[in-house]
Amino acid sequence: MLMSSRPDELDVALTACASGDRAALRLIFDREAGRLVAIAERIVRRRELAEEVVQEAFIRIWTHAHQYAPERGSARGWIYAIVRNRAINMLRDGRREHTVEEVETLRETEQADEIMAAWHRLDRESRLRDCLGALDETKRHGILMAYVGGYSHGEIAGRLRIPLGTAKSWIRRGLSALRECMA
Amino acid sequence: MTFDRNEIAGIADEHVLGLLEPAEAAEIEAEMERDAELKAAIAASRDRFLPLDAGVEPATVDETLWRKIEAALPAQQAAALLPSANDNLKDGWRLTALSALAATLLLAIGLGWSLMRVVEPVVIAVLINDAGEAQAVVEDFGNETATVRLLRDFDVPADKTIQVWTLPSREMGPMSLGLVDKVRSVRLHGPTLPAPRSEQLYEITLEQQGGSPTGRPTGPILAKGFAKPAH
Repeated sequence: MLMSSRPDELDVALTACASGDRAALRLIFDREAGRLVAIAERIVRRRELAEEVVQEAFIRIWTHAHQYAPERGSARGWIYAIVRNRAINMLRDGRREHTVEEVETLRETEQADEIMAAWHRLDRESRLRDCLGALDETKRHGILMAYVGGYSHGEIAGRLRIPLGTAKSWIRRGLSALRECMA
Repeated sequence: MTFDRNEIAGIADEHVLGLLEPAEAAEIEAEMERDAELKAAIAASRDRFLPLDAGVEPATVDETLWRKIEAALPAQQAAALLPSANDNLKDGWRLTALSALAATLLLAIGLGWSLMRVVEPVVIAVLINDAGEAQAVVEDFGNETATVRLLRDFDVPADKTIQVWTLPSREMGPMSLGLVDKVRSVRLHGPTLPAPRSEQLYEITLEQQGGSPTGRPTGPILAKGFAKPAH
């Protein structure tokens, strides 16, 4: 896969951040900020909130860089997880300043496309693409709605018109099948 | 939060997908510091799903976002500013430079390029992407002229352009050499800069049409590499 094919300079940059080197944080910003804003925006749905998420995330990357170690996975995965967590927290805190209707309209129209696009854009050689493709449609959709769009169990159940308990167990089974397929 | 050891992989996945209740998620975050197996499961899960994020179309980000971040940065607790910090960073770059060097040699041998030139560039940089694949070649003639040749077709949206940069020194910061519009090879007439050196960084980024509004790279880096003397 793309990101594991060479020693990761993000890894080195995090070490430098931990010892106070701002140029290293800038390097992470230059390489990743565009994607991180886009990832946050897929979840919080508004550009200015997405930038707020990324701004907070970069402060956290800076203050927690010393915690990063290879056993926490790739440096990129660690950085992205910080942004994802901030975005999902903002979503769950209800800090989006939308009325319910606005949110519904925004989410339903654009987001359904974006969620499927994230899957279709995966490299053709990618195991993840194949393994998601091997799941039945509802499970695949539920997993993508959660990961890409930041939907909760309840929101997924509502959108897929299935009971909450069913949504939870389908996603759980889908994740388990995915792990097996990718192992 | 109590969970069956057999469920660790499942809990890790649900955490990474953002499906746990906020209180559960906080507990898992704390628990993973004590539980190596949980930590490993979360790491594996993050990297399993990462391609869904890594493939996203990057947003255009401008300098104001960086300025806000920089203004809010606290001093590092262990801010000893060890000289090794910078060396570490350079080591990362050196790896890039080594792959670029290998690519330069291949190109030079394979194409016999510099042999056919009447005017020799001062330095040549092969720009490589994250995967280490050669994407473009910059030849800097040092007299405000440089050429860039793209080695593949980049997918450039209608409202974007590819911009070529170099870093003459840390103090100067990145300087624009010019834009590459819809062609694979172009001669650039940039600003007057210090004579290009060996190991000088060159890169291409995706910027809004007309080039970066801030005069500094703001878009995603498509490829970068370090210069080698041309002769």
